[in-house]
Amino acid sequence: MLDKSLTEFLEHGLAIHLGTRNEALRPNGCRVTAVRVEDQGRHLVAYLPAAGTAAVLEDLRSNGQAAVSFARPTDDRAVQVKGELISARDAEPSEEAFVLGQWQALLRELDMVGLAALTSTSTWLMWPCVAVKIRVTAVFSQTPGPEAGAVLS
Amino acid sequence: MSLGLEELTACFQGILPSMFFTCARDGTPNAAFLSHVDYVDATHVALSFQFFNKSRRNISENPYALIRVIDPDNNQGWALGLKFERSETSGPIFDRMFLRIEAIASYVGLKGIFKLKAADIYLVESVEQVPEEPGRQERWSPRARRHPDAVFTMKALQELSARMTAAANLDQLLEAILSGIKEYFGFSHSMILLTGDKPNTLITIAHRGYPQGGVGSEIQFGEGIIGVVAEAQQPIRISGLIRGMLYAAAARRRATERGWRPQEEVRLPGLENPSSQLGVPLVVRGELIGVLCIESETAYRFHEADKNTIEMLGASLAIAIQNMQLKAPDEEPAAAPPINAPIKAPTPVGGRPRRRHRELTYYKSEDVIMLDGEYLIRSLPARILWKLLQAHKHEGRAEFTNRELRLDKSLGLPDFKDNLETRLLLLRRRLDEKSREIRIVPTGRGRFALELECAIELTEKS
Repeated sequence: MLDKSLTEFLEHGLAIHLGTRNEALRPNGCRVTAVRVEDQGRHLVAYLPAAGTAAVLEDLRSNGQAAVSFARPTDDRAVQVKGELISARDAEPSEEAFVLGQWQALLRELDMVGLAALTSTSTWLMWPCVAVKIRVTAVFSQTPGPEAGAVLS
Repeated sequence: MSLGLEELTACFQGILPSMFFTCARDGTPNAAFLSHVDYVDATHVALSFQFFNKSRRNISENPYALIRVIDPDNNQGWALGLKFERSETSGPIFDRMFLRIEAIASYVGLKGIFKLKAADIYLVESVEQVPEEPGRQERWSPRARRHPDAVFTMKALQELSARMTAAANLDQLLEAILSGIKEYFGFSHSMILLTGDKPNTLITIAHRGYPQGGVGSEIQFGEGIIGVVAEAQQPIRISGLIRGMLYAAAARRRATERGWRPQEEVRLPGLENPSSQLGVPLVVRGELIGVLCIESETAYRFHEADKNTIEMLGASLAIAIQNMQLKAPDEEPAAAPPINAPIKAPTPVGGRPRRRHRELTYYKSEDVIMLDGEYLIRSLPARILWKLLQAHKHEGRAEFTNRELRLDKSLGLPDFKDNLETRLLLLRRRLDEKSREIRIVPTGRGRFALELECAIELTEKS
């Protein structure tokens, strides 16, 4: 589902959010610190800051539905991956460098477009994380414009 | 922690991106970035509806949504639970959002494509702090929160007014305004454009903080923030300009890939990368006389509290400028005697060297004067300059009066509200920027001199 080019983009260090919903179809969402594409693009591991996962984890465990949105601040290229929960676990200490490396790459991107306000503080709790493994079911373009929503995979 | 929406207006200036979470009727969630969230009142926000996308379809099926915004003052993240109420395609909320989007779209040549279809109004059912995005203050409380100082205070407005009343003519008034904006409001980059001879056109008459110049540059109504302000006669504040332009540029790339051909781009006057801009219409009794544009390289310089004072600022500037335009100097000699005007020897001074020879060509059909092959000035100021240069060449005159210009029917000055002072000022400032050897210098009330410090060659072409 996620080819090499798309994988490189998704793991580049982007602004990432996970959307879920509860049984009453009320939406929930949280920030994602980093992602890792696995199994030749069939699966995606999203690293969610543990401080903000309670509602979305509850949603994922109840219905499994997930939407992960990716955007690159410097050109607003954006992609959305739809999927279903496979598993959720605490991220390992050995994964911290990979996860925070991606987060730092995002901060550099934000700095390039003048959003230094976000990069000048370290108050956000981007680690420790919960690693949520998702089976990719669809991929859409979300770059602003008339083609937003086009199926990529 | 939960608190009122009015405490979060800083989140809605579009400086930091927002997220929009929705859910389809079949239970599929959706997460998308938002270009802008607008504060409506203590219980409502408005989201821009520009494209028929998945989020919009979801809302038509299921009215519940969640947005996440970030406070640019302290980086605190907030989650707002929403319920869709209605779409508006007219009215003050729509107009405000429409103008902002139009202004940004025109910068990237996207007018008509990157367009607001509707302002979607949502009831805010809950406001919660985002736990993984705590702000900089450890014990955050609305009472302890320090709002950034408002920029457009009444005190600053009063001080600017005092400075303006001391001005004796339009030139001094414009200087007083721009220097006052720097001194009392803290903005180093500003410009004033006045309506030009051509319909629906503004022309830059004065600026501060732009060493590259720009007096005489023209902007059509509807182009860029300044042109949109002129067209709508409404002030526009944009704090997250870079973000908005990136979003629009992404939309433009997509549209171009689909075969859409962009209109000619308008060159942004002023700063190369402004982060925030304020455009204030200068309107007197419903008539637009110009636009004040203030820029900053810093995001978030214009606050909600500034809104009313900005409108008062526009009104007082407009009246002062129009009064000065209408105040024709009437105490002057009946006729100034011709004075022989020898060419002065070039005097070496700092900066670029003076030239010994300059060539001016007047293209009559275009009503334009070119200086050494480069555009100098057009329309009425061009006709005035050509008259002065001809009088100097054939009659040896160097001193002139406003009255004789008004009596010269060949110049085509209107009988009522001729704005001669403004045109002469534009001509004088334009010459100051483009030529150190040809100058117009005021010599008294309603009188001025043409000073030449080089040989000039005049050519007239039809």
